[in-house]
Amino acid sequence: MQRPLPAIYLCAIAALVGLLAGCATPPPASDPEALAEYRATNDPAEPFNRAMFDVHQAIDGAILRPLNGAYRWLPAPVRHSVSSVLNNLRTPVVLLNDMLQGEPVRAGDTLGRFVINTTLGLGGIFDVAESRFGVPVHYEDFGQTLATFGVAEGPFLFLPILGPSNLRDLAGLGVDTAAQPLTWFGQGLAVDLLAGVRGGASMLDTRDYYFDFIDDINRTSLDPYAAMRNARRQARAAAIANRDAVGHQPPSR
Amino acid sequence: MLLLNRRDFAVLSLGLLCTSPSQAQMDTARAAGFIQAAGDELVAAINNPGLSPAARQERVASILRRSVDIETVGRFVLGRFWRIATPAEQQDYLRLFEASLIRNLAGRFGEYQGVRFALGRTQSRTEDDALVSTVVTRPNSNPFNLDWRVAESGGQPKIVDLIAEGTSLRLTQRSEYASVIQRGGGQVAALLTAMRAQAAR
Repeated sequence: MQRPLPAIYLCAIAALVGLLAGCATPPPASDPEALAEYRATNDPAEPFNRAMFDVHQAIDGAILRPLNGAYRWLPAPVRHSVSSVLNNLRTPVVLLNDMLQGEPVRAGDTLGRFVINTTLGLGGIFDVAESRFGVPVHYEDFGQTLATFGVAEGPFLFLPILGPSNLRDLAGLGVDTAAQPLTWFGQGLAVDLLAGVRGGASMLDTRDYYFDFIDDINRTSLDPYAAMRNARRQARAAAIANRDAVGHQPPSR
Repeated sequence: MLLLNRRDFAVLSLGLLCTSPSQAQMDTARAAGFIQAAGDELVAAINNPGLSPAARQERVASILRRSVDIETVGRFVLGRFWRIATPAEQQDYLRLFEASLIRNLAGRFGEYQGVRFALGRTQSRTEDDALVSTVVTRPNSNPFNLDWRVAESGGQPKIVDLIAEGTSLRLTQRSEYASVIQRGGGQVAALLTAMRAQAAR
């Protein structure tokens, strides 16, 4: 019944090895401002992360961005439906985390959206819950739940393909993956294929959400790695505080 | 917990950086009116079909030059390194910063054809600035939250930060510049070199 280890776990293991291998040197105690900044940045594995960032940029430039560019030839309503179906499939995980965070109203929104969109919205192809009932989608994940429990984010991590994250959110992603019904949906080629298609679509959907943002950073930033690290941390803080709700939101990890 | 503390820290350090005795408080209604006017002007320029892309960018740039308190933003972004920079470096930096800020923002906004914006529901106020929230819509794109931080500058309301979906532009940029300086051996000159190289591209 157990599914093979997803690539994400291998990445996590690689990251932990990397943490031990390449560590940044903290500034001396005689420079309190630099030390405060070093702590706020919370990136002790920076040399390793930067190396992973370079790998990611190479993969992104050669494969992900061109794929994303091709995907954008599809009409916007089609891409919207892809997001919407993926959102609908994500319901169990979001609902679980809404409940763990003690957010009954948001949990009700999530459940109501699932019922409406699965039926009237034909499995989520149309986001009727938002367009007709005015209940926009929102995301939650176990990393956010841990944050509301008071768990610190842990060191920053940048992993190829997955992008910017941290130890807490990576652990959260593991829990969310385990909590997905598809993980326990039996086995066989059909299930693996379904999971693969969904995983690929999800990656494309997320990359598409950040399309302009990534282009912008690569074009204008003097240090894209540092800019992404900081922007990701801010966006995550907003998501944890539920300050991120205006309709479509990416599954921030 | 940690995140909240960091935000408090950011607000605190901002306060220390920007507070001057003569600074007046910013009224939310006035700030919202200012953003509505500046936003209308920007949208009109961006959506003007009679303008060439270059002319459009120039129009957007001139609106931004008037509406953004570029020196305040620039000093905030350089953060603690402002004090270790020589007066000549400070001058150089502000000049390069203005050029890059305007170029980047005008470049980004210039591509937003068909854009519309609406003032959001919440407008809030801090000690010496106001936050005006807007929702920006573009054809074939998802709407996004854009908040404008407005402070008093020489008797005029001016933009001091843009916050897209909860991500503050000046905070991101400060962290980016600090990283460039640190990797350049703690020298502000390393940042100026990188900025010059980018301007030349």
